[in-house]
Amino acid sequence: MQRIYVHPLAVRIWHWANALGFVALILTGVQIRYVDLIGVMSFRGAVSLHNWVGWLLIGNFFVWLLFYLFTDKIRVYHPELSPVKHFRASFRQLQYYGYGIFKGAPNPHHLSAYHKFNALQSMAYQIIMLLLVPLQFVTGVLLWDLKRFSGAVELFGGVRVVDTVHVLLFIFFTGFILVHPYLASLGDTPWAHFKAMITGYEEVEEPPGGAPPER
Amino acid sequence: MTNSAPWVRSAAALLAAGLMLVAPAAAALTDGDNACLGCHGQEGLAKTFGKSESLPLRVDGAAFGGSVHAPLGCAACHADVDLKTHPGAGKTFESVRAFSVAKAAVCQQCHEDAFKQHESGVHARRIRAGNALAPTCTGCHGAHAVTPKTAYQTCVGCHSEALAAHQKWLPNAALHHEVVSCAACHAPAALRMVDLRLYDPATKTWATEKPGEPWFEKLARSVDADGNGLDARELLDLVNRINPQGTAAPKTFRGRIELRTNVEAHRLSDKAGAIRACDGCHREGAEPFRNVTVSVTGPDGRPLRHGAKQEVLSAASAVASLPEFYAIGGTRSPLLDGLLILALLGGAGFPLAHLAVRWLFKKSRA
Repeated sequence: MQRIYVHPLAVRIWHWANALGFVALILTGVQIRYVDLIGVMSFRGAVSLHNWVGWLLIGNFFVWLLFYLFTDKIRVYHPELSPVKHFRASFRQLQYYGYGIFKGAPNPHHLSAYHKFNALQSMAYQIIMLLLVPLQFVTGVLLWDLKRFSGAVELFGGVRVVDTVHVLLFIFFTGFILVHPYLASLGDTPWAHFKAMITGYEEVEEPPGGAPPER
Repeated sequence: MTNSAPWVRSAAALLAAGLMLVAPAAAALTDGDNACLGCHGQEGLAKTFGKSESLPLRVDGAAFGGSVHAPLGCAACHADVDLKTHPGAGKTFESVRAFSVAKAAVCQQCHEDAFKQHESGVHARRIRAGNALAPTCTGCHGAHAVTPKTAYQTCVGCHSEALAAHQKWLPNAALHHEVVSCAACHAPAALRMVDLRLYDPATKTWATEKPGEPWFEKLARSVDADGNGLDARELLDLVNRINPQGTAAPKTFRGRIELRTNVEAHRLSDKAGAIRACDGCHREGAEPFRNVTVSVTGPDGRPLRHGAKQEVLSAASAVASLPEFYAIGGTRSPLLDGLLILALLGGAGFPLAHLAVRWLFKKSRA
């Protein structure tokens, strides 16, 4: 077994704060949107909490962004520039999750400090972190004070467009937050990836012929 | 006139309403009115009440000519003036305030419904309690230059600190002040509605019909073929007809929460009785969203309305037909609700299904 340091402290802090924050945003968002069906807290209380947590998560996003911008760890987000290679790796990974895992086949992705995401994760997290999360924050900030940002709201096409984008992303993140822990349990042991996100270290079996080359 | 029989008051009110309906926006004053203005148009004309309190008697003829009451003429409200003895034999009052309070009876002659509502409202209660600042009819509406104003313009005339006070507790307070009529919360017993008013981004004002060129109602009627209120598809059709392809700055409908009848706007509660619960509006099926109209500002400033169905507020097509109106909860889209249910089912179902298949394959792995 080999221990690889894949999750630096800043990333772990960001991750768990982000996870808690997103759960809080989803729950308060559900309360705000469905106040006629759910009455855990008042509408105004839910809006206030939603706003505060939203601002904290925007700050937290910059922890993530600045860490990766100013360290060489940004390499984990570097995209595979060859589409053929990328789609071949993605297909292999899909094949593993959809069939190989049931037969006990090995995970085609070999983890290293600068290659912690498989092809599917790499594409998904680039879209999520660089497009969907910022878009959710921007639409959230616009909805936070529609009058102050009326010009930007108009650019988006109106308040209903801004809200619809915000709600569609909320729906996506709700689905994501349910699936994410399950996928995280598909490591060598069910708790391996969870432990790694606490300690920073992943334990991986050394492939035959030594450690995989760093990308 | 104030002690007239009920049928006389009813007839006067009907006549007044009839005159106001047929009158153009700025009615030409009659010779009789101009005769009154011969003296009352002069600067400095005033009457002294009580301890040298002065009531200006000058009337701005142009402002009166442009007011909604111009078609009625001076005599409609000043029927107590006997030209044989005028000037000189007018009633005297202790103060200008007492005159103002007493003169509310003149408004009551035509606006009896509003007057009744007002009598049980906070302003009337404070007048009766002797509060010198509580407004009489003319305090909010003016005396001789009565024009259609929004409730907000009327209220902030005195309550200038209203926005700052609301900002202390109400999220998006400035927006609420823009899209919710004051009375929608401060007349809690009143029935409310959503009025989708046509806005012109080119002029940055409400789209207004020109006198003698009615088009909105005709267009709305032609789109609303069955005449039972616009549905979601018909509203989109109306928007498209108002903005033919290539329109540089398309007009849009902006929603406002208003009272179904302005008469009820007179029954204002005190601050403690006002609606503060957000879910009075921000919930599906909330009372204000059950009654919807589309409107354009008429030549006299009053809205010209056409009915619409509640569904227009939450239909998927509202992204195109009502991009500038959305109220959390109150106008939420069933389509997005369905997507959320799918996400929940998928988000919970995928792990369970995957886990089940892994369990089924467990034996073959062993």
